[in-house]
Amino acid sequence: MEMISIWIAAILTLGIFSFLYKDNPLYKACEALFVGVSAAYWAIVFYFDNIYKKFYEGAVTAEEPDYFLWIGAILGLLFLTRLVPKIGWVSRWPMALIVGATAGLWMVGYFVSNAMNQIGNTISNIIARDELTGAIAWGETFGTMVILVGVVSGLVYFFFSKEHKGVFGATAKVGTWFLMVTFGASFGYTVMSRMSLLIGRVDFLLGDWLGILR
Amino acid sequence: MLSTIAMILSAIVGLSLIYLLIRTIQGHPVERRIVFVYIGLAVVLPLLMNKTLPLPVTKDVRKLYDRLEQLQPGSKVLCAFDYDPPSAPELQPMAVAFLKYAFKKDFKIIIMGLWPQGPQQAQQAIEEAMLDPIIAGKNLVQGEDWVNLGFQSGNEFVIQSMGTEFKRMFPKDNRRIPYEDIPLLQNVVNFSNVDFVMNFSAGKPGTYEWVQFGVDRFGFELGAGNTAVQAPMMYPYLRAGQLKGLLGGMIGAAEFEKVLNEKGKASTFLLAQTFAHATVIIFIIIGNLAFFASRKKKTAGAR
Amino acid sequence: MRNSFEKTRASRALLLVFVCSLLLLIVSFSTSVSAQADNDSDTPADSILALAAPAPATDLKAFDTDNDHGHSITIEWTLSADDGAGANSVISYRIMKSESPDGPFDSVGLVPLGATSHVNSSAIDKNSEGYFSDNTDYYYRVEAMTTNAALFSSSEIVGPVQSSGQWFNAGLVPVLIAILIFTILTMIFVQLAKKGMDLYVRPLAGIEAVDEAIGRATEMGRPILYVLGLGSAADIATIASFTILGRVAKKVAEYQTELNVPCYDPIVMAVAQEVVKSAFIDAGRPEAYKDDIVHFITNSQFAYVGAVNGIIMRDLPATNVYMGKFFAESLILAETGAAAGSIQIAGTDEIPQIPFFFVACDYTLIGEELFAASAYLGREPELLGSLKAQDYAKAVLLASAIIGILLINIFPDFGETFKSWFEVID
Repeated sequence: MEMISIWIAAILTLGIFSFLYKDNPLYKACEALFVGVSAAYWAIVFYFDNIYKKFYEGAVTAEEPDYFLWIGAILGLLFLTRLVPKIGWVSRWPMALIVGATAGLWMVGYFVSNAMNQIGNTISNIIARDELTGAIAWGETFGTMVILVGVVSGLVYFFFSKEHKGVFGATAKVGTWFLMVTFGASFGYTVMSRMSLLIGRVDFLLGDWLGILR
Repeated sequence: MLSTIAMILSAIVGLSLIYLLIRTIQGHPVERRIVFVYIGLAVVLPLLMNKTLPLPVTKDVRKLYDRLEQLQPGSKVLCAFDYDPPSAPELQPMAVAFLKYAFKKDFKIIIMGLWPQGPQQAQQAIEEAMLDPIIAGKNLVQGEDWVNLGFQSGNEFVIQSMGTEFKRMFPKDNRRIPYEDIPLLQNVVNFSNVDFVMNFSAGKPGTYEWVQFGVDRFGFELGAGNTAVQAPMMYPYLRAGQLKGLLGGMIGAAEFEKVLNEKGKASTFLLAQTFAHATVIIFIIIGNLAFFASRKKKTAGAR
Repeated sequence: MRNSFEKTRASRALLLVFVCSLLLLIVSFSTSVSAQADNDSDTPADSILALAAPAPATDLKAFDTDNDHGHSITIEWTLSADDGAGANSVISYRIMKSESPDGPFDSVGLVPLGATSHVNSSAIDKNSEGYFSDNTDYYYRVEAMTTNAALFSSSEIVGPVQSSGQWFNAGLVPVLIAILIFTILTMIFVQLAKKGMDLYVRPLAGIEAVDEAIGRATEMGRPILYVLGLGSAADIATIASFTILGRVAKKVAEYQTELNVPCYDPIVMAVAQEVVKSAFIDAGRPEAYKDDIVHFITNSQFAYVGAVNGIIMRDLPATNVYMGKFFAESLILAETGAAAGSIQIAGTDEIPQIPFFFVACDYTLIGEELFAASAYLGREPELLGSLKAQDYAKAVLLASAIIGILLINIFPDFGETFKSWFEVID
């Protein structure tokens, strides 16, 4: 049984890889299979985890039913009013709830960690000193300077009310450079991630499927 | 034998890259499919060599290890598996190494997932860890030494709610046994009753949510294993102490295996990763040469 | 003339708001104290069995946990003399609790050596073990434990102590003030925009390119692909993308070009259908709208990418627009699009994905530019007003950072206080 599943996985992996050469019927078949299976998988997950486990077991069969879940269920059903064009506008209510509740939940967190704490962290002594000797720690001082220039120029770049001209434009330009360096570093990390995924697949093909490894 | 052939082939492939470099300078750009072939070889050949690389353990991994070492036998560790099979090559080795270590140290493991497939990944990792002779000898019992609470939908709301009571989010474990009937969970009400939280994360919801909705609100100690894509975003939290340690990508996994003294998949993948990176760098150089060569040609043509 | 008069009035009002809020800030913060010591734990004790009972933990304090919903008591103590020093035999502290000073005491928590506090919180469910009620007297003691379970020493008993809930989390006052200032700014600018004041937004290259790209698609007789990303309908990036989709759909309807919007999230699909439909109505061509312009694919990341890749390679769209939340699929999509020779315009607030759009797309909106773009295109007073307010908020943050740095370097004491206003503990 396991043999069959390994063979299916291997053929599908190779089928998807064949896209690298060019689009072909095997890739199309794999793609269609993937989309179909995943759509069905998620439908089952949503049904089992949300409707059955969370709602049915929580609000209907539980010893102490959680009646709040009925509110959620009713709001969820309101989504279906979209199917009837005349009352379709009702489906905006649950949508409004989702958007509003998420915004509310995140607002404080966002504000604290992305704005206030960041500024708090930026405020520090420009000249760092060694704790023991009191001598100037040049490395750390340089680091603080870079963070400072980066924060200021980055913020200026994302200022939309003023055209990027003169001193303002030059600062924004520095901000662009900082962004590019950040993107470069991030790119490197992502390449690393992608290579790991490829290695994982090749390990499967050579090891589990062909049995060459180990 | 196979390993020797692979080494010889690697040398030939390496030399052929120089040929490509010269052709590019002469103005013949490399076709994209050739790049794919080289990347493929850069991954396959080192895997066949079956060699490991010497690897220094970085500060962030060491920090996590040091913190884990302080936990006493019997400590309760909550493990959140927030990833699915596509990210498994990076995260599964970390999870396996972590579980092996935890079982050997007699930690009690509570597994949960904010991603539907997370707890399944955990189950696989547990099965792999159980193959270890030392762990197999301990005859660990599900429900007493470890428990898998399964998946719960609701993303960050789940963490928020667990802050008051775990049972509210996980009334039953994955075997459908009620929370109150599980021996391991007898005194576990919320985060204040677990000694450490470990999160393996491939995206959203993941470590970001665990920090903002967990650590920042309920003050538990959190360690994380992240995909390399996500890891750089977590450094600010690491520096601020909101994270006790971070394993980033396959390298992080390999370092973790090294520091725990568990030889696992990540260590054997490291050479392939290095070769693949080297190939990418060489093609970046070739690509830039081609770009400047074609620009030079264009300006010369314009004249 | 009237316009300039209004402008001065507006700027005066703004100044007033600023001064008031600054005063408010200073008053409210001057009392706030924030400092949290970092408990660095020392090396673990030796694992050999201890021979003598260790020195007990001292200075035990128990008090109601601040700024919570109740049912929680915080216990603090000073380390045992044998924790990390002396006989170095302490391995953990056990927190014991009782309803009477005479006991019996039950264990409610165990923390490792080096720890000097523990929060004893109750379960919400009254039937749960570990539940305790507010406004009831409790007594605590802390036991310093060794590797030998029989050898431990108890601290003095503290109590009675009661837990209680607070309606208001005083620790978040700075955030409340900051959000209030921001809300007031937004309201002012929205009102100004509604009154017709011209709020300048600098042009964004990526957005200027959209019209041109639609024109090109029309000339070539090829479709336009619009991808909303993997975000939910509640994500700000997705919401911004809806506005841009509305604009694109309107142009598409005018030029009679073909549009294809494959969706990952069913709710996003539902909203996108509404957006496209109303754009077609606005353009005066409701009959051209078909429900399958916006269609669902699957809720699985890579299956979705596979399908969209297929669409790109088969339909060869003239233009691909990627706006919203993107994750690992960004490069796969953008690479395929580049290989198919499409003009590509992207925008996302997911920082790790921006580099990929950068290398593979013709135009990329970075982070907040995506939100600015939706305001720039929509020209709706609400969006323009909030964009302006954001700019002012950024200016305030920038000014605060600079003032803070100057203060901390010139008047360190005052600088530290100033810095503490920004370091909010949730």
